[in-house]
Order: sequence, then structure tokens, then C-alpha cells
Amino acid sequence: MTKINRRDLIKWLGAGVVCSQIPVTGSLAFGSTSNHQSNSPKLVWIVLRGAMDSLHAVLPAFDGNLLVHRRLIAEPALEAMLPMDQGFGLNNNLPTLHSWYQQKQMVPVVAVASPYRQRSHFEGQDVLESGLFPLNQDNGWLSRALEATGKTGLAVSHSLPVSLRGGQLAGTWYPNTIPFAKEDLYQRLFQMYKQDDLLHDRLEEALNVRGIVGNSMNGNSRKFKALAEAAGTLLSHQEGPDAIMLEMGGWDTHDNQLPRLSRQFQELDSGLQTMRTSMGEQTWNNTIVMIATEFGRTVAMNGTGGTDHGTASCLFMAGGAVNGGKVQGNWPGLAKKDLYEERDLRPTSDIRQWISAALIQHWQLSTAQLKSIFPDITPARIV
Amino acid sequence: MTNHLAVIATNRFGMGARDHEIKEAQSDPQGWLGTHLISPALDNSLPDSWAVINQYAEFRAIKNAEKSGQKPGNQNAMMAPLRRTYFQFCSDTLTRSISSEHSFSWRLLDFFSNHFSVSAQGGLMAPLAPTLEREAIAPNLFGSFADLLVAVETHPAMLIYLDNEKSIGPDSRQANYLKKKAKKTRGMNENLAREILELHTMGVNGGYQLEDIQELAKAITGWSVARPEKEEGHGFLFRERAHQPGQRNVLGKTYPDTGASQGETILRDLAVHPATARYVSWKLARHIISDQPPADLVDKMQEQWLKTSGNLKEVITVLIQHPQSWQIEQQKLKTPREFLVSVCRATDGVSPRKKNREQQSRMLVNTLTAMGHKPFGAGSPAGYADISSAWDGSDALLTRIDWTNRWVESLKKRVDPLTLMDTTLGEQMASDSRTIIGRAESRQQGLSLLLLSPEFMRR
Repeated sequence: MTKINRRDLIKWLGAGVVCSQIPVTGSLAFGSTSNHQSNSPKLVWIVLRGAMDSLHAVLPAFDGNLLVHRRLIAEPALEAMLPMDQGFGLNNNLPTLHSWYQQKQMVPVVAVASPYRQRSHFEGQDVLESGLFPLNQDNGWLSRALEATGKTGLAVSHSLPVSLRGGQLAGTWYPNTIPFAKEDLYQRLFQMYKQDDLLHDRLEEALNVRGIVGNSMNGNSRKFKALAEAAGTLLSHQEGPDAIMLEMGGWDTHDNQLPRLSRQFQELDSGLQTMRTSMGEQTWNNTIVMIATEFGRTVAMNGTGGTDHGTASCLFMAGGAVNGGKVQGNWPGLAKKDLYEERDLRPTSDIRQWISAALIQHWQLSTAQLKSIFPDITPARIV
Repeated sequence: MTNHLAVIATNRFGMGARDHEIKEAQSDPQGWLGTHLISPALDNSLPDSWAVINQYAEFRAIKNAEKSGQKPGNQNAMMAPLRRTYFQFCSDTLTRSISSEHSFSWRLLDFFSNHFSVSAQGGLMAPLAPTLEREAIAPNLFGSFADLLVAVETHPAMLIYLDNEKSIGPDSRQANYLKKKAKKTRGMNENLAREILELHTMGVNGGYQLEDIQELAKAITGWSVARPEKEEGHGFLFRERAHQPGQRNVLGKTYPDTGASQGETILRDLAVHPATARYVSWKLARHIISDQPPADLVDKMQEQWLKTSGNLKEVITVLIQHPQSWQIEQQKLKTPREFLVSVCRATDGVSPRKKNREQQSRMLVNTLTAMGHKPFGAGSPAGYADISSAWDGSDALLTRIDWTNRWVESLKKRVDPLTLMDTTLGEQMASDSRTIIGRAESRQQGLSLLLLSPEFMRR
């Protein structure tokens, strides 16, 4: 395993991309890693912040108790749902995910949870991203996976999210809302930074990323769809990262859940579709997309047409590298006696077991490598 | 006479030279820095932590009423003042560090605010987090570290952020009551105790054991925050019923049960422990001087710490006077905050375009957010990482460039880049950079090049 340091890391962002107006110097030969073939296995990690209501996404149509707990919001969803196996249905606002399911490129995993059992969003997200319990906010599971494999990662974010903290192989990118300076200023800065290797390399790298994602991002939408599109482009680029992380907020539906979640699902779904298009089929065929949330929501509807913070939720895995088309995970049931603390969907597996299973298959992790990412986790068996 | 040392005084220690600072510092740079060691003054017309807690309690009450359908309300409208308060606090610190004549003290405030990091996450913590530096850190910046430590650990922002306000001793009267009367058991929370030892005092390799964390956690059970309207007091409240009875043993020393002061006595001992002296001295030197601070500098600071029982003014004076603090070669890339503040100091403006104070404060905070250092946004009790590699990413650099370009375009005052070069960087400026700035196509471009030059971006 070659360990690349931060100075080498910039090469994958900086190397080889010729932007017409930017001087490309001879220092771009890139480095020690060999992860960058176009068919190298890619990972997309999407965190839905705010606790997505899995019971509204993957509907257990066979479980009569669903209507007992939440008739008002479940009934319309059940009527419109897109069928899957074992009597489950997918919310009709997720048509892209459903078409992938039909192509055997999507797996929903039901009743998963991180080891966290309180109900604070921030802690829940931190535990999910850290993958450690007790929590360490400065050490993320994806970062550990990169360190173990020498792969590189990128967060579409202003600053590094917990998932990618702790190592040396991850960077950030976010569309700039500030208007670009004139090309001439960058040119002159290049000249000025000749005496300063670090600044010179960083500027080169930054402008190259801008070249990859295109100027269209400037000042434009920072909606999930636009970010997902850019992520797809970056990921498929010859010098792109091996893993990319996206975040999407707006899932904390304490009220008025029906219309709100419809919009959320549509935005997520169309973003995923755009991402697949922008990365192209070749990259898609070597990609696993994992979509997770910090915890689920209460099984029963509250007084304001919404749901409150709960426990188990679902995980989606999709992509050309996924062998899908079947709902995974054990269903705990929705009878009152089966609920966690008599209110939430009971977790039947640890979300880290599924992430582990995906990593082992996709990145060919050894047992020792897996231990360095998730100590004490047994990978899930996909049936 | 060369002005290298004055440039170091104003840039490495200070937050960037303003006006005539290089001239002022030139004859005695160390003496000049000595005059900075006074507590930074903040706008005391802004709300305090107790006002914030009350405001939030009102918001919750209305929200709950709304939930149970009693009366309609507008949550967003209710939250707006709390969010505005967050921006006001952040901008108060920023604008004052921009205009200050003692900018070294503001750097130190920034350092300790990050050392005792609290995150502005959620409705309450957003406006509450910034009150920690205002109320607990700024007033104690140049006194004894023990006073600073006690003020921080008993402040509502810290108690709530690290969950100590709900921590109940396993054998406390409250725990016994809960065991009998209610099904639910609430227990002790070790978060704050762990971070006190690991992050605030001795450091992760400081030599304490798991039992020390647990004993400290027990000692500070009952350290809580009063509930507005429902309880006496404002801010810190000692809940005797939640306090774990009995003596405690921390780092081999026994502390009798003296109630609220049991924890304080332990903190005061921790503040003068050699591991604490070492760890905090090292962090200070690393923050101010170099990512790899000279060993002798850290040794001397630690010695002074132990000799003066952790008098921060004395320890910082050692830092100022040590020859290895004054290496001519630039040592660190400025953090986003240092960069923003120093650009504003150099161009003598808080915001030339935005007249409205509200907009202005949002602009400053949003700029830092875009550069990856949102105020109180570290999201970890460890704070933002304190070495350059944590903020020297390519995206952050491009944001600096585009922002600076726009900033310069918006300046009303005509600023001559070559004059400014001398007042901000003096002889630090390499001749290559000088030439490139001199050849700029316009005054504006020259100014952007100056502010984005390696010499200005580093310190």
C-alpha cells in the first residue's frame, strides 16, 4: 500500500487538466498512486441531515400497523407507491431510485441504525459519520477508509465534515458564491507564487477543479441537484477523487410532512439522476452510492401532520457496482410491542455492518483494514 | 534601520499592521507588544448569556404551545432574533479586532476561544456559544489560567454544550428519587470531564487515567444551568440534589466533599499541573509562532507557568521575549480569520460597501464560512485544527482570491498599493513580489496582488 501525503494529494486535483487560459507548468507529473484508472471503484457518500422518515420512503405495505400509527400520511403514500419485493413499496417521488431497483442497481436496507440511541440531530450525525461509539468528532469512517486504502476523497462542503476528518487524503470543494476575479489576476498570482510552492500548487489545483466543474457553478444554485451534478463530473474525471461526499438538509419534518417530503424526495431523486448522467455510464458501473441519515422518525404521526425524532431508518445503496433489486434487512414489525421504546422503528442491524459489506466488496478491504475503520463490526451478509 | 522585527510584531503577534503601527513598534517591538496585554473590550450593550437563555425559553414555550395547537405562531419569525444575536456577537468580535490598537490581545482571545471550543449548533447554542468568549474568556485572558478555567467550565455555554447540566451523580438524592419514583433513569455524563482533561488542561497524553475522568465527572455533577422563570438564579446553578456525595480522588489526591467547590478545587489543581503547563504552552507557541514550535520556547513558557502558578500574562511575556519567536522567515499561513481581519486592518475598513451594520456583520461571518472557518462552527470540542495544513486547501485559497478581488473593487478610498506595502509589510516584501505589484495594470489590481502576495498571506 502506498501512503500518499498531502503534497501528493494535490496532484490528483491538479494534474493534467488543461484549462485553456491557465499556464500549465512542467511540475504536474503525478505521483505515486495508481488508483486513477477510469474503472477504479468509486464511492459516493450522501448524508441526509435532519433525520429522513424511512417509513415514508420505503413503505411496508404488508404491515397493517402502518395505517394504525399514521393513516393520514401513509394512506396517500401507499396508494401511489412503486412496488418492490416482500410487499415493500418505494415512495412514488423516488422514480429514479425505483428504476435502478428494477435494473438491479439499488438496494434499500430497512431498520438500520447507528449505535447512537439518543435523539439529537448533531450527535446522531456525528456518530453516523464518525462510525465510532463513543463518538470522536475528529475521526470519520470514510477518512479511515481512505487512509487504509490510500484512496482520495472530496467533500462538497465549505469545511471538512466529520466523515472525512482525521486523515490526510481528503479535501473540500464548494461552489463559490463570490464572483470570479479576472483571468489576468490569476495569471499574475501564478507568477508571484513561483517563489511559494504551496500557494502555487494550490492555485493550480483550484483552477483545475474549476475547469472540471465548469464556470456554470459560479454564483448559481447550490441546490442538491447542482451539487450532485458537479460531484458526478468530478468523480468521473481522469484525476478525480475515489470518494465524494454530499450532504442534503431539510429532512426534519415535524409538521406538514406529506408535501415537504414529496419535495425532498423529488430533489434527492432528480439529483441522483443528474449525477449518474454527469459521471457517465463507465464511472457509474464502478460506483456505489450510499445514502444514509442520522436516525429515523417516530412511527406515529404527531399532532401537526409530521413525525418526531426516532431511531431506526433505512439505508440506500445504489450504483452500477451494486447487485441489487431486493430489499435487505430484517423487518422488526410495527406492532406496539415491537417498537423501540414503544414509539420508534426498532433497529435490526447496525448501519456500519452494511457499509462494511460494501467496502469489502467494492474496495477489497482485508479484515485488518476493516478493523481499522470499524473496530468490532461484523459485515452484514447480503441475502 | 531595518523594520523586520516591527513587521513580525504586527503580523505574527498582532493581527496585521494598521496605519502607523510598524513605525510605532519599530523602536521596541517587544515593549510595544507588552502594551497589548489588556483584556479586549466587547460591546456590553449586546445581550448576555442569561438573556439569550431566556429568549430561547420563550421561543420554546411558544413552539410547544403551537405544537399542542393552542395558538398559531411563526417559528421562523421567533428564531430570527436568536440568529441575529449570533451574527451580532460574531461581528462584534471581528470588527473590534479589526479596529483595535491592541490586536495581539484579540489574537489571544481567538486562540483561547478555539481552545475552549463550543459549537453554534441548533437554536440555543447558536446565540449562546459566542457568549463564552465574551463572558468567561475575555475578562480572564491575562490573569491566572485557573480563573479562566473555572470561568469557562462553569459557564452555561460550556455546561450545555458538553451536557453537564443534565449530569446526575449515580448516588445523588435525585438519582435515588428517580430510581424509586420514575421508570426512567438518568445518569452521569462524562463529556465535560473528559474534555477538561483531554482538551482544556493536561492534553490527551497528559498522564491521567479513565478513573480520573470518572472522578472529575462525579465531582462536577450538579454543575448546571438555571431554568428561566422556574428557578432562582441566573446562569450557573449548583443542584445539590444531583451532586454525587463523597470524597473524590483525582490524580492521586483526595478531595473532600465540599459541594459545588469540590470540582472547582480540582480544576484549580489541574490548572497548575505540569502537564497542563506544558500542553497549553505548546499550543500557544504553535498557534502564534510556528506549526513546529521551538522546544526551548515551550520549555521556558512551561517553567514560567509553574513559577507563576499559571499567570497567563507572565507566560505570554516569555513568548514575546524569547529570541526564537522572532525568526525572520515567515512561519505560518494566516488562518481565514487572520487573513480577513488583516485585510480589513490594512485597507482601513470594516465594510466599505455595506452601510447597514446587520449586512456588514453577515458579510464578515459569511466570508469566514466560505473560507471554511465559520465562527463557532468547528463542530468539535477540539476546535479548529491549529496547523496550516488544515486551512491551506485549494478551494479556500480560491475563495480568498475571489473575495479579496471583490473587496478591493468595493473600496471607496483610493489606496496606493506601494505605499500600503510599506505600511503593512515593510521590508518583509520580497523584491519579486514588489516588481509584480509595481507592474499591475491598475491600482486595484496592484492592491489585490499585495493582499494576496505570499508575504501578506503568511506571517
